[in-house]
Amino acid sequence: MTSAEADAPSPADIAKGFADGDEQSLADAYARWSGLVFTLALRSLQDRPDAEDVTQQVFVSAWRGRATFDPANGSLGAWLTGITRHRIADRLAARSRDQRNSSAAIGLVDAGSPPAHVDDHTVDRVVLADELARLEDPRRTILRLAFYEDQTYPQIAETLDLPLGTVKSHVRRGLIQLRDRLKEVQG
Amino acid sequence: MTHLDDELLAELALDARTPDPGAADHLRLCDRCRESLAQLQEVAQVRAELPRLELPPAHVWDQIRSEVGLSTPVGEALDHARTRSRGLTRRSLALAASVAAVLGLGAGVAGTLLLTDRDRAPSNTVEAVIRLEPLAGKTGDGNADLIRSPAGNELKVAASGLATTPGFYEVWLINVDGKRMVSLGVLNPRSGGTFQIPTEMTAEGYRIVDVSLEPNDGNPEHSHDSIIRGTLPS
Repeated sequence: MTSAEADAPSPADIAKGFADGDEQSLADAYARWSGLVFTLALRSLQDRPDAEDVTQQVFVSAWRGRATFDPANGSLGAWLTGITRHRIADRLAARSRDQRNSSAAIGLVDAGSPPAHVDDHTVDRVVLADELARLEDPRRTILRLAFYEDQTYPQIAETLDLPLGTVKSHVRRGLIQLRDRLKEVQG
Repeated sequence: MTHLDDELLAELALDARTPDPGAADHLRLCDRCRESLAQLQEVAQVRAELPRLELPPAHVWDQIRSEVGLSTPVGEALDHARTRSRGLTRRSLALAASVAAVLGLGAGVAGTLLLTDRDRAPSNTVEAVIRLEPLAGKTGDGNADLIRSPAGNELKVAASGLATTPGFYEVWLINVDGKRMVSLGVLNPRSGGTFQIPTEMTAEGYRIVDVSLEPNDGNPEHSHDSIIRGTLPS
């Protein structure tokens, strides 16, 4: 690394490299989005080994299918989120097939399968958590205290020794940033 | 027609406040502002239900790399990517003591977390206590305690004598390789703070505890204005 290197790759830079087949961009994409993919899989499947498998499948199939990704037609984050949803749905469908087969084998009436789709609300929440982790400080710390710890504005101002007005303004602007990012990912 | 300011809409969404009559009239007439408010309300409503983001274990990346047959060495590609993730800084930063000259510094690794008392496990062991000394021309000092708990490592930072000044203080862990750094979060100069750090971080060389003064400029990079600093034992 030298000081002559460019700044951190933006999601758009990663996307371009990815589409061009630049191997470093796969590592960049993994560093940027693996938390989002893994957390989404974990929340949806409620099983750690399954979530690890899905994460692996998502990045492998995204890389192999990179020719079908068009950076002009949406963000890489949204595309990976879409692949993650498909992989989770596949896993849920396989689970309910297994369940039906074993029910049939022991002569039980099929009690109906759980839905084999990914809940939109879960996706939105994980996307927002991912974006929150990427805000710049002090906004990131302020929003963590406000959202995760449920602290009031005066409590946050005291915890961080920041003026109350500064805290309020960061929460408002942070909310706007999160909304904007959610809109991007939802396309 | 002048639309309502996004910050006003955010305030309405967050505080579930009734808009004043002027704003209420505008909202009745303006689809765009009503839509904008609805979106902000959607985010505000789920703010208490956001999951903690979790990173997959290291073997997942190893499997991906071997499955697609990357020619770049495994660790290198990802390590490089990690240091180039969010908040990376490429500006040079002169480090005292253990790191003489530094070419580029990266800040990344999401997932550190400011802890409150509620999160803290009762059975913690203090693994190291170090002094944070002022850099040349700066005033203040402090200590940093590295605490091992069942849930992972924590860094407890306390400072005294830091100047009251515009901006805020931020705690960083700088790698002794001089190439990488991560931001742990905002430090209250009077009451200090405790920050969760991934278990493997100190073993990877993130051992320099640095407290910087950051201007309120919205720039996530290190300001290069380090005030106090100390190094955790390896």
